Amino acid sequence: MRKTLLSLSVIGSLMAGTALAQDATAFRDGFVAGDVSWEDVQTRAKEEGEINLYYWGGSDKINIWMDSVAVPALAAEGVKLNPVRITGTKDAVDLVLAEKGAGKGLGEGSVDAIWVNGENFATLKRQDALLGAFADKLPNSVNIEWNPEDPRALLNLRDFGVETNASEMPWSGQQYVCAVNTARVSGDAPSTFDGMMSYLEANPGKFTYVKPPHFIGNTFVQAAMYAHNPDGNGAVPFQASIGEMGAAELARLITPGFEYLKALEPHLLGAGGTARYPEDPKALDGLFLNGEIDFSCQFGLYGVATGLRDGTYPEGAEQFVFPEGNMIKNKNYLVIPGNAPNPAAAMVMANYMASVDSQATKLEIAGMPPGIDPWRLSAEDSAKLDAASPGLVGVTQADLDANTAPDTNATLVDVIEATWLEYIERDSSESIEAIVANAVANLK
Amino acid sequence: MARKTSSVALNERLGPYQKLYLLLVAGFILGPFIPLIIQSFAFRWAWPDLLPGTWWLEQREKSILPLAWDYVISPYSQVWEATLNTIYIGCVVTVICLIICLPAARVLARERFKGKPAFEFFLSMPLIVPEAAIGIALLMIFIHIGLAGSYTGIIIVHLIPTIPYMIRMLTAVYQGLGRDFEEQAMILGASRWQILRLVTLPMLLPGVVAGALFTFLVSTNIFLLTFFMGQGKIVTLPTLLFSKISGGTLDASAAGITLVVTVPGIILLLITERFIKEEAFGKGFGN
Repeated sequence: MRKTLLSLSVIGSLMAGTALAQDATAFRDGFVAGDVSWEDVQTRAKEEGEINLYYWGGSDKINIWMDSVAVPALAAEGVKLNPVRITGTKDAVDLVLAEKGAGKGLGEGSVDAIWVNGENFATLKRQDALLGAFADKLPNSVNIEWNPEDPRALLNLRDFGVETNASEMPWSGQQYVCAVNTARVSGDAPSTFDGMMSYLEANPGKFTYVKPPHFIGNTFVQAAMYAHNPDGNGAVPFQASIGEMGAAELARLITPGFEYLKALEPHLLGAGGTARYPEDPKALDGLFLNGEIDFSCQFGLYGVATGLRDGTYPEGAEQFVFPEGNMIKNKNYLVIPGNAPNPAAAMVMANYMASVDSQATKLEIAGMPPGIDPWRLSAEDSAKLDAASPGLVGVTQADLDANTAPDTNATLVDVIEATWLEYIERDSSESIEAIVANAVANLK
Repeated sequence: MARKTSSVALNERLGPYQKLYLLLVAGFILGPFIPLIIQSFAFRWAWPDLLPGTWWLEQREKSILPLAWDYVISPYSQVWEATLNTIYIGCVVTVICLIICLPAARVLARERFKGKPAFEFFLSMPLIVPEAAIGIALLMIFIHIGLAGSYTGIIIVHLIPTIPYMIRMLTAVYQGLGRDFEEQAMILGASRWQILRLVTLPMLLPGVVAGALFTFLVSTNIFLLTFFMGQGKIVTLPTLLFSKISGGTLDASAAGITLVVTVPGIILLLITERFIKEEAFGKGFGN
């Protein structure tokens, strides 16, 4: 029965497809131009009825928040939220591009929104697969700083150096923070890359980082590049795109960083044999819990607090400042692809996600830091967010703020990632200049 | 009493090496389940502790979120949804597979025709060609025709690896059956429908049930094709398990889900053991 209904609906949607697409395109153009009132969006969203949000489903905490808070809240607005749990964000991006390749336009695809940042957003943008500038036109976008003259707006305007043009909505803001297992480390945890090297010389094998191309591993590599920047100006030059910078200049900037990583490798987990890099943050958590490593670095302002709460972190876990001055901070976003089947419902969903209520409950239950900007909120709302925070463990917000660095331009990330794979993983004997030149040539 | 004597006899009959061997076999089959069961009740279980340092029940009241089995049985884990999807898809696949394979097996078992060996080889092709190759190619086609991400799409791809098994099993059953009984019924004046209903099917039944169970089991275990076609929207037990354990670490809720995923297989195995073994495999494949 279910099957017959489904095949009927498939045939139906094929026939209705063209008319729907034209209608959806008119709606999008109107909304992006600011001609559609929010009431009209809500009415249309109710007609569309549902929205498919694709997100990384590897965290029980986020899944619980999504199902128990977000789904009922959107149901109250007349939209059925279908949270689709995926194992890799790239899968959803590939699906959007495959459907685009198959000629499915607006109103005809299957992905309404994706939780993304960095390379995945850059890919969608490069392939012209974005819906357009919707994020700054949502009612709740007042909670987000869009004024380009305010330097704090940078995280909303640029995603890994790529201009967002309001085609994605900031959902959560994160910082790369390391945790130390104080039950195993006596004295202060190292706060610089040199300090980490000396620690590992004394305690071989007690550290590792997630393997690039996973973005958590890429971020560690980027921090190492900043700290070893031969010009001494850290993240500054890494904001330019590869086109602006050129391969030779990038090679010059990253050579000391890669030499450090190469020298570090024999001291990492598996010291003496082959260095072991975990594939993803979950595997890293496992190593940290089991005491195989003493330090664990990943995005997660409240990772330690929530990890202690659900038993995935060892009892002595605390956060610490590492590397000094280069703790990368960024945001992650909700993007609406250009072939979203339910564009209006996707906007209603994004608007809900930018509300103070949803951000506060998400912070409390899932431990995901807010993506909206506290200085844009009323004192009451801002206090609500503070009260929901699971809290920092062992560091203060001031420590973190004092050591913040921006992330790397997405086009450079691709090259640095390729260089890591070639120079560190494949142990290439070629010079870094040659590897970088090669990687840049392969990008095109 | 009789049972006891026989077990004593068995005990005496087996040499020490044979006993050790049996013990090892049992250990290999049951062994992996022990840490899984312990893990599923753990809150924090870190090396080098032999048992969890903190148990889930100790933390249950303090936690603001459902942990371990609380998570597994909550709707958030999608276990129930995945189980229903798995059973639904498995049943539909089995029925369609039977409808396709029964007539095909009859012809393959009884008729001779030109190119029959080549045709039989062709039927086994899906077992030889890697699933990933079929999956990627079909996904592109299914996206075009709008079947990707639908139950229909998943059911169609599940037929690909199940049909070859079903055909082979049913062909063997038909070969064992012989034409005589049907001919006899025909001579006695039965209609074709009566023959099918009263003679052929009852005699085929044990083999059909065995084939159906096997098809169902294969269908419930297909990961890659389901993953491609379901696009994450349709969750079955294998895809749920994969997304839960792909990180390489097993937390309490992942251990719980893993245990739940083994249940349908064990139930089917018990059914097979109890009702089918003698009947089907005796009659169906014995001759």
